[in-house]
Amino acid sequence: MSTSSLVPVLLVGVPLSAVVPIGLSRARPNLREAWTFLASVSVLGLAVQATTTVLDGEVVEVGLGHVVTGVPFALRIDAFGALFALLAAVLWLVASVYSVGYVRELDERHQTRYFAAFAASIATTMGVALAANLLTLFVFYELLTLATYPLVTHYETATARRSGRTYLAYTLTGGVAILAGIALVYAVTGSVDFSPGGVGGLAADPTLATVGYALLVVGFGVKAALVPLHGWLPGAMVAPTPVSGLLHAVAVVKSGVFGLARVVLFVFGVDALRSLGLAAPLALAAAATMLIAGVLALRQDKLKRGLAYSTVSQLSYIVLGIALLSPTAAFGALLHLVAHAFMKITLFFCAGVVYVETHVEYVSRMDGLWRRLPGTMVAFAVGSAGLVGLPAIAGFVSKWYLVLGALEADAAPFAAVFLLAGLLKLLYFWPVLSTAAGGGDALDGFSPIAATGGGDREAAHDGGQADGWERRTPTTEATWLLLGPLLVTAGGAVVLGVVPDATPFWDLARAVVAEVFRSG
Amino acid sequence: MTALLASRAAFLVAVVLLGLGLFVLIDDPNLLKKILGLNVFQTGIFLVYVAAAVRAGGRSPLVVEGGGPYVNPLPHVLILTAIVVGVSVTALAAALVARIHAERATVRADELRDGAGEVRDRE
Amino acid sequence: MSEVLPWLVVAPVVPLASLPILAFRFDRVGWPVAAITATVHTALATWTAWTVAVDGPTRFVVGGLPARLGIELAADALSASFLLLVSLVGLWVLAYTRRGGPRSNLSYALYLALLAGLSGLCITRDVFNLYVFLEISGLAGYALVALGDGRDAAPAALRYLLVGTVGASLYLLGIGYLYVATGTLNMSAMAAELVAVGHDGRLVVAAFAFVTVGLGVKMALFPVHTWKPDAYRAAPAGIAALLAALVSTVAGYAFLRLLLSVFTATLFGVNPLLGASLRAAAVLSVGAGAVLAVRQRDVRRMLAYSSVSQFGVAVAGFALATPLGLAGGVVHLLGHAVMKSGAFAAVGVVEAATGARTVDEFAGLATDVPVTSGALAALSFGLVGIPPLVGFFGKWYIVLSAVRSGAWIVAAAVLASTLLSLSYFGRLVQRLYLESGSRPADTRYGAVSAGMVATAVVAALVALGLGLASAELVELLRPSLSGVGP
Repeated sequence: MSTSSLVPVLLVGVPLSAVVPIGLSRARPNLREAWTFLASVSVLGLAVQATTTVLDGEVVEVGLGHVVTGVPFALRIDAFGALFALLAAVLWLVASVYSVGYVRELDERHQTRYFAAFAASIATTMGVALAANLLTLFVFYELLTLATYPLVTHYETATARRSGRTYLAYTLTGGVAILAGIALVYAVTGSVDFSPGGVGGLAADPTLATVGYALLVVGFGVKAALVPLHGWLPGAMVAPTPVSGLLHAVAVVKSGVFGLARVVLFVFGVDALRSLGLAAPLALAAAATMLIAGVLALRQDKLKRGLAYSTVSQLSYIVLGIALLSPTAAFGALLHLVAHAFMKITLFFCAGVVYVETHVEYVSRMDGLWRRLPGTMVAFAVGSAGLVGLPAIAGFVSKWYLVLGALEADAAPFAAVFLLAGLLKLLYFWPVLSTAAGGGDALDGFSPIAATGGGDREAAHDGGQADGWERRTPTTEATWLLLGPLLVTAGGAVVLGVVPDATPFWDLARAVVAEVFRSG
Repeated sequence: MTALLASRAAFLVAVVLLGLGLFVLIDDPNLLKKILGLNVFQTGIFLVYVAAAVRAGGRSPLVVEGGGPYVNPLPHVLILTAIVVGVSVTALAAALVARIHAERATVRADELRDGAGEVRDRE
Repeated sequence: MSEVLPWLVVAPVVPLASLPILAFRFDRVGWPVAAITATVHTALATWTAWTVAVDGPTRFVVGGLPARLGIELAADALSASFLLLVSLVGLWVLAYTRRGGPRSNLSYALYLALLAGLSGLCITRDVFNLYVFLEISGLAGYALVALGDGRDAAPAALRYLLVGTVGASLYLLGIGYLYVATGTLNMSAMAAELVAVGHDGRLVVAAFAFVTVGLGVKMALFPVHTWKPDAYRAAPAGIAALLAALVSTVAGYAFLRLLLSVFTATLFGVNPLLGASLRAAAVLSVGAGAVLAVRQRDVRRMLAYSSVSQFGVAVAGFALATPLGLAGGVVHLLGHAVMKSGAFAAVGVVEAATGARTVDEFAGLATDVPVTSGALAALSFGLVGIPPLVGFFGKWYIVLSAVRSGAWIVAAAVLASTLLSLSYFGRLVQRLYLESGSRPADTRYGAVSAGMVATAVVAALVALGLGLASAELVELLRPSLSGVGP
């Protein structure tokens, strides 16, 4: 086994094996967090290594026995896998820093379980990213569900338990659909390996292939939160905010989108889907999801739920971009996969800081928050502007290619949907920002400015009247463990918006598109 | 011909025994009678084997010069074994009923279901 | 080396015979004798399996007679894997019973009888001999259930005995018909004769029906499953772990063996209705078992009903009568045995440590028994069918085979069984971890030994190992399953 073939194994193995020392360091939090950082830095190094290898035009594949007879248990680093792995690795490191700040500030219970489950989730996400065939992907995909379950139910309240149950019910039912789909595809073609342009042989039985495709789309559509399969996601926001940030905006939901993209581009292939005419229904579902979720978001007062609906909507940008089967749209979709991750994790991190510092969870109570958390709210503004699609932020670039791709595919209505959904984003985020920017002490004229010094949290928490916020500067508004990560991700979103082609994501996305559309 | 009829009759009896045994086994609430039913049921099966061994004009298989035809000895041997098994089962069943009677002061299935002898001392 | 085969049965019988004598002098001689025997038995089984894997199937005819007349013992990859299962589960259950009980000499005598009977079932190729072993293991099983100390133990054991004996008797009736039709008791000779007589005769069809119902009782398929929940509830936990893993599983093996070596897929080819009925029965069992399991409050009864459902899955695989479907059924049977045994052991630990018996009482116990709870959770998800535990892989082969043969209902039922089992196992795991119980704090229960916990943990690890190696297992099984047909 050469050193490069160790990379995919280590990408999964390192975070997985970190679970053990994390669990054993229960009594010593600093040591425990050191393990997390050690693992996440190593994973980032490995992911960079993998990216370099892929961009050199080399595809690393390593087989580790068989899942079932005829289907190897294999990991492979190709451009698409590297893109997802690199994204998850970068954001895991950032989210780890943030997590430490978050759980310590709030003095959470079960911190060890939290960090252990987090590492396990990343390990399985890496497995999803690097799986060389659909069945291997499925194994990690199911494990990802189990690994994130303790995080969703972290608070062990009745609501958390209910959300956890919903989550398991949705995702494992989706898992069964995926399994059925895999069985059908395998029965027709005899292969579920990922190959750019599809495995071929699907024409042998178009009916079975179609049913298999439908099952796979529905199955992956659960985690990708396609309406009406999105029901679990807003409920899952009961989890601690870093979990919502990394897992419910990046790792978990994107593993659904990733699986969907693997099915569309690497199992069925562009040509087969065109000839079977299977892409249009998926595109319609995605377009509907974008609009419905965009409207539903407008009705949410709880900040994290609003962000969750926004996620539902944004994920469908990616799905629609892929379903359009045009190189430009697919390129835009891949960029948006990255861009949305950076922007949405920023927004969740901001929501987390707002909660940690002020215990505010509802938009209607964010009045004047800008004074208290200036740095945070700037980052929030950057993230939301990006989601709306304003220039110079990541979202603009990806949406540009998405719209362009829609026009290129002669699907002007879909281009309009992209723009309309962006408008809905504006309608959602504008009130949030304007509320936060509003004069705090003006809302309730005679209420005293209760929040002073370190006691502001309790004051704000106890008295609903304490609407006035103390004015602070970015250096004092929150601990750097919280503020640093969100400024980094916001900065990342700007970099992706200003010089997108300087990032490895750009090259990886180009490589994927070149690979997939080689024949067409 | 008569032998054939006789064997047919034997099968008929076997079916009756099977039905009767199973009926008692299922229907009678008395555990001891259930065991008897089981025995009758098994006897029906034994009879099937023994009847299947019959050959027209066959004699018991003590081989002597020019003695044939003989009845098939193998089913008899099998059924001997099966009877031994049946006896063991009956013994164990009887022992269990004795224990039930000692613990619950009844040998009726319906009373057991209704909690006879249940002192309800668990926890 | 085929001389090893009879020793697999004899090895437990010799100490069994000596136990009553030893018991006069020593009070607690049962466990050591059983442990030594189980170790020797495991060594013999491993040796047999190794021989089969390296040199191919091995056979032995008792008394040196021609196979048609004497009792033929034989081991191929299929028999060897069930043989290994019997000895390994037998071994690790001993780790449980050393502390967790039952500990009397009588119980270990019965344990040895069970071991002998089950081993015999795995290797015999004589249908009547199979009946004898079925009843030996059956008798041992009935008596083992009666070892439970609750007031429900004797009635549960008696019920098990009555139902089980009817099942065995129906099997006896079935092979009587086969004997009449073929004039032999040896399986391969029977198969050859059946080709000559044809598979569509009334005798053959009736024989298959009786054999299926008879062994169906032993496997506890719906609706002849009624003995199972009571028996597993009333038996001592260690015994439940033993019986749940082995008795029905080996009956399932016996059914498969007859299907494979006597009836062959030709039977279903000639009488499509038989195959369809078997599939229907299996699907019914999958559904009914799950529905009944959902409704249980008692954890052990829930696990018992879950078995009804899981055996439905395995039999559905058999009913497809393709090498792939059979392989799936076998992997599922073996995996289920390992996991269910571990689950009963884990439940036994929880009962011993806390006194909890119902799903509700399990609430919040994960903090009291963390390692056991971890094993139980892993095993639960394994039984649901989440990879990489072995529960997933058997289902995969069955589903794939069903899809290939167009048996859509079977495919759907097996997939649905995943969701159904999730509904009750998910509830158990959630209670265990996320809810706080209202257990009275003053109740003090017996300590739990490391061996008891190890039983559950080892089962979980074996389930993981089997899952990771399932493809290799299927490759090993393939030659012994290919006789069935396409």
